[in-house]
Amino acid sequence: MIIEFINMGGYGFYIWTSFLIVTVFCYFLYYKTKKTLKKYELELATELEKLPVEQRNRIARSSKVISNILASQNKLS
Amino acid sequence: MDFFSFGNIIVYIDKFIKFINSIFFLVLIIGLSFALIISPIDYLQGDAVRIMYVHVPSAWIGLSIFSIIAIGTLFNFVFKIKNLYLFVKSLAPIGLLFTCLAIVTGSLWGKPTWGTWWAWDARLTSMLILMLFYVFFIITFKIFKDSEKLPQILSAISILGAINIPIIKYSVEWWSTLHQPASIKIIGTSSIHSSMLVPLFLMLLVLLLYCALIFLMKYKTEIIKIKKKNIKRL
Repeated sequence: MIIEFINMGGYGFYIWTSFLIVTVFCYFLYYKTKKTLKKYELELATELEKLPVEQRNRIARSSKVISNILASQNKLS
Repeated sequence: MDFFSFGNIIVYIDKFIKFINSIFFLVLIIGLSFALIISPIDYLQGDAVRIMYVHVPSAWIGLSIFSIIAIGTLFNFVFKIKNLYLFVKSLAPIGLLFTCLAIVTGSLWGKPTWGTWWAWDARLTSMLILMLFYVFFIITFKIFKDSEKLPQILSAISILGAINIPIIKYSVEWWSTLHQPASIKIIGTSSIHSSMLVPLFLMLLVLLLYCALIFLMKYKTEIIKIKKKNIKRL
């Protein structure tokens, strides 16, 4: 039964290759996108860390994006 | 308009990403079960019809994203809405991926059903042209990223690419092609049975969730890039 399922009536090669290609390329784009996002989040957080605490807090209060990034980085560390 | 500020958008992006992550694998398993096990075989094509469940949604997504990009770019050219740039820039790689996947899976479907991997048929060629438009669009963003000419160039590519969209859609009716005519019609009766339509829409849902996830992550990256650039001004 498993062999029948893999064989897919003789079209197994075409069917499994199609699904595999879609999976591999979708995962590749997901991995690359996530990696880039994490890289920029980390870079922004590092630049903020370099600032004096007072200035950093002021920026975090005035910008939701910055406070969001700082919060997510704090959760990770 | 404060609702559309980057600060609010980023909060909702995180919520949407969490939501998609929580349901994605469940929807994926249901979709794959229907596509590979539950759905019936075709009386002519046999099991080869299962390739449809990845090929057709990929093609739909590739076409839809370019249509959205074209409208977004033209809107931006006329109304100068800067957020739209980030929007179309984040969408383009997803559209390119799915257009390529539609071509590759179509080729894998073509071999057992038509006896050939590729033919210079109107539908296949117009899809290849769409892929090239996506490539031009993405390359333009990279080459002219700081140029004032960027909106004009992107609008030109979008208009030319948008002309290709109805050509792709109606190519199977205008010319005698190897590719079959559309089985699913928005207006009128579809010639596909519900036992095949359900898996098709489930797989479309899976791929749409994936697209939303990638789009949100890319959009968030673009927002962070802007904030990083402007950090000294804050």
